[in-house]
Amino acid sequence: MSDPLNNSPKKDAIEAALRIKSKRSFPDSADSTNREELSDEKLVSQVVNGDSAALETLYDRYASTVLGISLRVNDDQAVAEDILQETFWRVWRYAATYQPRLGSFAVWLFRITRNLVVDLHRKQNVRPQAARYTDYEDPDIDQTPDPDANVAEQAQSLLKHRQVRAALTALPTEQKQVLEMAFFYGMTRQEIAKATGEPLGTIHTRARLALQKLRRELEKQEFEG
Amino acid sequence: MDNRIEELLPFYALGALTDKEREEVEAYLVEHPEVRAQIEEMEIAASALPYSASPVAPSDRPKKTLMARIEADQRAQSSIRREESRSRSTGTRNWFMRIQPSFISALSLLVAVVAMTLMFASNREVSELRDDVTALRSALLAQESRLEQLNQAVGEVNAKLPQTPPSALKTFAIGGTENRPEAHGQLLADPNSQSAVLVVSGLAPLPSGKIYQIWLIEGDTPKSAGLLKVDALGQGVSVLTPEEAIASYNALGISIEPEKGSQQPTGDIVMLGKFD
Repeated sequence: MSDPLNNSPKKDAIEAALRIKSKRSFPDSADSTNREELSDEKLVSQVVNGDSAALETLYDRYASTVLGISLRVNDDQAVAEDILQETFWRVWRYAATYQPRLGSFAVWLFRITRNLVVDLHRKQNVRPQAARYTDYEDPDIDQTPDPDANVAEQAQSLLKHRQVRAALTALPTEQKQVLEMAFFYGMTRQEIAKATGEPLGTIHTRARLALQKLRRELEKQEFEG
Repeated sequence: MDNRIEELLPFYALGALTDKEREEVEAYLVEHPEVRAQIEEMEIAASALPYSASPVAPSDRPKKTLMARIEADQRAQSSIRREESRSRSTGTRNWFMRIQPSFISALSLLVAVVAMTLMFASNREVSELRDDVTALRSALLAQESRLEQLNQAVGEVNAKLPQTPPSALKTFAIGGTENRPEAHGQLLADPNSQSAVLVVSGLAPLPSGKIYQIWLIEGDTPKSAGLLKVDALGQGVSVLTPEEAIASYNALGISIEPEKGSQQPTGDIVMLGKFD
């Protein structure tokens, strides 16, 4: 399969937008009128001090990705939006526990979402549909524009989505399947072996190879988490 | 590297191990820190997976609900801080005064009477004043049950005062959790003593068969500190006499339990306060 990302004129447009206005290049000004320009880490520190407007900015920045993660497992939009709300409520309550040295805010945020999704999935005891595992083939993404999100941030987010999807297209379907079952559904290796009918050793190998391959492909895509 | 650990590592990075397996990996990492680099590489790949899900713009509902929830939380926190600030500025005596003005008025009068007794020790009126003291004591005893409860609470704290300077008394704010954000309260105690007074408000009366239970938390272990009844206005007072000094606990919580109480918290935690 050709790499639609690298040949896409959309990529150039996105990167151009990012060059004009990248949130990583903004100074950490404490000016509340320019919250949208503050780094995630600066906003989190304001949330720790009880600034709800800072949380709102983080929400606008990441809500569509968080909802996407939730909808990955739950078809019910209302349930997925409840998870979205609960995710940011936990950011509000536990912002003080975030430690930048252990990873970016986005990684921390998505881990909260993922844990909520997995908990709900386990409570509902729903088995994933096989068809869901193989929908990475087209890295083109249909994204409904979020009217609350900053244009440059949307562009940056879209670029990350494209990079990851493009990286995943390089993985064999059965490896992607293991990643999907383990990460989004929180299935243990034994559960995956049972669901796929493969020996446990095969699942171990697939998981290891999948992560190694994905890491290499992300590097090729110049993905910055 | 241990074969089993090698098998577990990818699932550790993906967050898909059982609790026991995760503990096994973490114990191994303590002894073999060189393996961390391998895990970090895997975690970089795993942490990119959320971006494989298509982003979807949410409706207005979650944001509105979230911000309303945060506003309510801020109001509750602000209320607790105001209460705490008032406690600090007015001192222990005024703290009790807010709890039960009528009781404090009576107590103040009693103190005044005793003071006057000392001033006029040689006076013939001493006997009359003693009569007044007796009468006031009788009046106190005649107070309704809530007042008696407070009297007992104050008595127990006062019993500690000769051994401990007043400055040793501390007030700890106890806030409502997300299950009862409107609840707030205070714990008055000398941290080195084994007695304390807990006053709460904003706790809705419970249906038949349920009761609030107080827990003093030592490390991760909650220890029952008694049951708590609240009146129709959601207010309650309890004297705690734990087995160990208050300082040996790091938090106080209140949960909803079956009416006879539980060995360990089983219901919703409705209030929580740390002893920082």
